[in-house]
Formats: sequence, C-alpha cells, structure tokens
Amino acid sequence: MLTLLVKPSASITFTFNDLEVSAIPGQSVGAALLAAGDRVLRVTRFEKKPRAMFCGIGVCFDCLVVIDGAPNQRACITEVKAKMVVRTQVGGA
Amino acid sequence: MKPEPARVVVVGGGPAGLSAALNAALSGASVLLIDSSSRLGGQYWRHLPETWLEQSELHLDLDTGLLLISAVANHPKIEIWSGAEIWSATHEDGAATLRLITNGVEKIITTKALVLATGAYDRTLPFPGWDIPGVMTPGGAQSLIKGNGIAVGKRVVVAGSGPFLLPVAAGLAQVGCEVIELLEANSPLRWLKSLPTLIQNLSKIGEAAHYIAIFNRFGVRPKFNRAVVAAHANQDGELESVSIAKIDSNFKIKKIERVKCDVAAIGWGFTADTSLAGALLLKQLVTKDEGVAVLVDENQESSIAGIFAAGEITGIGGSELSIAEGVIAGLAAAKYIGCKAEISNNHHKTRAKKQKFAKALISSYPVKSGWQSWLTDETIICRCEEVKYSKLKFAVTELGATDSRTAKLLSRCGMGMCQGRICGRFVVDLVANESGISPSDISEKERISVGNRPIITPISIELLANGE
Repeated sequence: MLTLLVKPSASITFTFNDLEVSAIPGQSVGAALLAAGDRVLRVTRFEKKPRAMFCGIGVCFDCLVVIDGAPNQRACITEVKAKMVVRTQVGGA
Repeated sequence: MKPEPARVVVVGGGPAGLSAALNAALSGASVLLIDSSSRLGGQYWRHLPETWLEQSELHLDLDTGLLLISAVANHPKIEIWSGAEIWSATHEDGAATLRLITNGVEKIITTKALVLATGAYDRTLPFPGWDIPGVMTPGGAQSLIKGNGIAVGKRVVVAGSGPFLLPVAAGLAQVGCEVIELLEANSPLRWLKSLPTLIQNLSKIGEAAHYIAIFNRFGVRPKFNRAVVAAHANQDGELESVSIAKIDSNFKIKKIERVKCDVAAIGWGFTADTSLAGALLLKQLVTKDEGVAVLVDENQESSIAGIFAAGEITGIGGSELSIAEGVIAGLAAAKYIGCKAEISNNHHKTRAKKQKFAKALISSYPVKSGWQSWLTDETIICRCEEVKYSKLKFAVTELGATDSRTAKLLSRCGMGMCQGRICGRFVVDLVANESGISPSDISEKERISVGNRPIITPISIELLANGE
C-alpha cells in the first residue's frame, strides 16, 4: 500500500478481478489500483507480457482494462466510480 | 443539423486554452471550451478534486491555475464540455466541423472560429526493457501526484533530459518516494551558453532555486551525462533494476552500473499533440528539437483563416509562453467573428520574451543520436504492436522500406491503438539511420506526416451508430 498524500472524507469501493478495492472519488481507475498495490493492468496479445500505466495521461493506450464488460478502457484517464467491475485485459480482450 | 451561433470554440483546457477562452469571452464572444479531461487545468495545472485537502504545496504554480480555472468556469459567456474526446475534425467552406464523444454520446459541432490548444505529452525513447511495468514517463508519475494524490512507488529513478525532470523529482521526493537517482543526459556546460537568456527570466531562477532546496532537504543529488539504458524485470515481470550508463556528448555508452528501483520515470522533453491540427490540414513545421509544431502568424492564426493555435502545439515552450499565446489567440479569434478585441504591442512583447527563453532551453537539452546504440534486436520499438527492433530493421534492410510510412506497413510499427503517438517520432530516426540518412537530412514532410491521422482517437462503431 502506497502513501496517500491527502485524506478526503469520502471513499468508494469497486472490484478488480473480483476482489474489492477502495478508492477516493476523483481518482482514476489506474491510480486507485496502483494505490492498492495492483500495478499490472493488462497482458499483451502476442508475448503475454504484463503492462502497466506508462504515459499516465491517456496517450499510449498501455493501461487498457475491461470496465463493466467494455474492453480497451484507459485506466489512467477513466475516473473510478462506485461498484465498477474492472478486470485485467488479456490480449485484445 | 441546426445552424450554429457565432462563437469561438476552444479545444484544450490547459494554460493556453483557458487563457484563450477567457480572453475571447472578455472581448464579448460566446465561447465553447472543449476539454478531454474531467477537470480543467490541462497537464500543467492537473489537480485534485476540490473536496480533497491541501494540494498547493505539491504544485509551484497551482494558485494561478485555480484562479484562471475559476474565472473561466464562472464566466457567463463560456460553456464548458469536460471529458469530451474529439475523434474527427474537418474544415470546409470557412467552417470547421468537430465530431466528439461526450458522456458516451457522439456530438457534431461546426464553428467559424476555432482555437486549438491541444498541448503536449512526454517525448520518449525506446531502450531494452522500457515496456516493463514500473518504467513510465515523468509526466505520468507526476499526474499520479497532482491528479490522484498518490506516490508512484518507493525507490524511483528519474532520468532523461530537460528542465521538466526537476519538478517531477522534487514532487516525488515531497510525497515520500526515495528519489535514488536524478539523471540528466546532457552536460551542465550546455546551460552556460544560454545563461544570458535564462538570467533575464528571474521567475525561472527562483523556480530552480526552489527545486534545489527540495533536493537538498531530501538528499537528491542530480548527476549529469548519465542515462538509463536498460531496465530489468523480476520474476513477476515487474521492474527490479535499471542499467545506468555514463554517456558521452553524443549519448554513446561509456560505463554501466546496475541500480535497484521499483519505478523509473524517463522522459526527453515533449512532443506536441498535433493530431487535431493534422486532421484539419494545418501547415506544420519541424522545430529545432526535431519535433513538429503548427505554423502560426503573429496573431496565432494558422494557415487556415479562422483557425488559431496556441501553447505547446506551436512549439514546446512551457506554461508562461502558452498563456501569452493563448491570450493573443483568444483575442484574435474573438476579433475574427466581429467582436471588438485589441491585440497590443505588449501582448507581442510578452510572448517574444517567453519565446526567447523557450528557445534557449531547447538548445540546452538536445537528444543526441547515440541513443540508438542502446537498442538490441530484442528491444520493443512499437509498444502497442510489440514490434521488435530486428523486425523494423528487416523492413528497411531486407524489404526495402526507405521511409517510415513504408516501414510501418511492413513492420506494423505505429499501427496500434496509440496510432504512433509514442513510437512515430523516433521510428523516423531509426528508419533513416538504417537507410544511411543523417537525422538532419530527414525531410520535413517525413517528420510531419507521422503525426497526421484522419481518425484522431480510437472510437467504437456502436457510439458512431448512436450519434447525431
């Protein structure tokens, strides 16, 4: 668990690969997962290599995850919402 | 489609876009500000939601940003569409048409006056292991602090080149990361050449002093002529260590040591996001750092009348230059639709001063071609399509590609979801090198064409089908 810099009052929960994760409203899915210790967000199509956030601002498409059944969602710029169902994206999903 | 009222449409909610929107509105124009992020401010003034606590300590210049954001947000003549992603832009019969997705719905708007302020992102270079989780851009590491309130890791190496490494390293140290190395690839002697220009910008000297004080407090000791030339993974495939090389003035490796870390934030300055400008067929030029910028006249007007550009897309120059350009672009756009707006000598003077400073900085932090010697055949060049260096070389030496477009078709470099935003810029250099062309002989057209794509961002057919 990484240090949280500021302590806002509200907290929400969502799931990542069926495990509950808590987040702060306003955070991105990628940031909330990183804070919870989950850095690897997808597995590549060809070499099955793990990937994480790289550019962090929506440019590189390396942090793709499946959110509520929709693949190819950028974890770094998608704001986390309560009860979101997030999954690792494996291959082209 | 209903006819649109006369108004100025501004794309981008960073320093340039906010300044343009506000100044157009202050001149009496109705303004629509379109921003892809959920909160205004751009990358520079990225910030936490207001419900969060103290954040100004993490950001040297956030107060200015928050003032500007609040002025824009509260202006009755400015309408704001946040979280809106433009996927297509065309220009016909004196009006631009933008197609965008906002709240999951497609919208189409047309406008006679358009200001583009689409900003920039970190310039990256490939090296063995740069696809390992834990290797990221300095901008990415900083966005986690400024926009999400989290520290990216425990032991962090910050490397690359350029003044942006300083605030990133300082920010990481302040939020509790151990910044074990801060590495600038260039020599400090390069600064001396631009010293007279730097001294004229006192605020920047104050900024540098602020970062140096933070480095002293946290024991961060910057080193020069050094670069991260390889990254190594642990058994889970995540970052375990990096190879740090002492390099010569052309970036060729002299000596290597291994350093353990869980994050390496590496960047080489910035790449302007000219994808929207390219789709609109605005004239572009190659800048001194071999990047691409939108060509503008003294009032920030592009090669197409009624389309203005401001900020990093007209040449990387930092937030102060972006604001100066944004002010002029906003006034000029308002004037274009018939509002009374005066662009004064002072506006031009302020911009000229900031331009001079930006130019001096860019020449202090060049990216030298020796970085290509860091690659191995196995190094990933295109992250999206997992194209290795050997495959790109094969496309050139065996299949006969002599330009990056052909090399792309034959190797799939740049054909993935990021549409070449990450690899396009350096693939041009790699292809040229394999073909025996020196970086300075690469044609302007070749460098400009890699940023041009008709579809600006990947979009699902379903969204299109449900649109207007």
